[in-house]
Amino acid sequence: MIGLRRCALALLMVVVFAHHAWAGSPSDQLRAQIERVVRTVEDADLKKDGKAKERRTAVRRIADDIFDFNETAKRSLARHWLQRTPAERKEFVDLFANLLERSYISKIELYNGERIAYLGETVEGDQATVRTKLLTKQGTEIPIEYKMLRTPNDRWLVYDVVIEGVSLVANYRTQFNKIIQTSSYQELVKKMKTKQAEFLDEQRRTSDRS
Amino acid sequence: MERTKVNVAVGLFLVLGILALAYLSIRLGKVSFLGGAGYLVSADFPSVGGLKAGSSVEIAGVQVGRVESIGLADYQARVMLRLDRNVKLQDDSIASIKTKGLIGEKYIRISPGGSEKLIPPNGRIREVEAPVDLEELISKYIFGKV
Repeated sequence: MIGLRRCALALLMVVVFAHHAWAGSPSDQLRAQIERVVRTVEDADLKKDGKAKERRTAVRRIADDIFDFNETAKRSLARHWLQRTPAERKEFVDLFANLLERSYISKIELYNGERIAYLGETVEGDQATVRTKLLTKQGTEIPIEYKMLRTPNDRWLVYDVVIEGVSLVANYRTQFNKIIQTSSYQELVKKMKTKQAEFLDEQRRTSDRS
Repeated sequence: MERTKVNVAVGLFLVLGILALAYLSIRLGKVSFLGGAGYLVSADFPSVGGLKAGSSVEIAGVQVGRVESIGLADYQARVMLRLDRNVKLQDDSIASIKTKGLIGEKYIRISPGGSEKLIPPNGRIREVEAPVDLEELISKYIFGKV
């Protein structure tokens, strides 16, 4: 009887550890995802001019696997998040994810063989910080820190990016707060919606041209 | 008899003077007595560059506390902040070291977060922003272009 119980325990341990090995440390998970982005951006097939849209959707899909947009949006809206209804929150998260896509995916497309060094990580409960460095071809080093949060199924998702000591969440928190304080939340949403519409318009025009 | 009265008066005056002096030096020196009012929270920064004990802690430009002490912990700067008791900080508040004006003194700015959880006394602010080192940035763009 005891033997059987011990056997079951051993089996359970194997399952637990195997699960852990699959999940990996925050750095490993992040590295795997970033490598996916690099592969997509460098894909010769997707690099062709007419494929800009496909490439962007592919990068966005991976970004959805890396980022916890819900958490980033919540932290950026800060105090004003608590006053929103669930529907408003959902709408805001979508708008915010689009805003990040507009501002950063075009930058990611400029990627040109820069090296990324992983300097280490600190894990504290459900939070982790992964320190990396981007080495440009000119020899400048740009320190980039990823703040990550553990999800219930042992995946680590990024909620904040700190570049050269400047936090993305802090930046948007200040801007959103200023807009909401001087006008209103509705005004902020309107602003974000018009920006997104303008962006889509422009994208349509450039794709028509090509 | 008359003499003792004068002596007592002088003595009282002197004691009063010393008390006033003590009060003044405590007020001006910003020394906190018996642990002071408010509660402590800590924050770890990669660098504090110019922040000192006694520097102010602000939310929206309003002073809500002071830097109690700065020490080294695991090659990082651990800053202890003493905050007013009626100021509640959310779990995801961000502490950034900022400069007053272009070359003014350093202070800590806290931008309140949106979490339901609050940081308890003796808790830690996890989200921090170190001061931007202008010299380092400039040197990067001078020496970077090889």
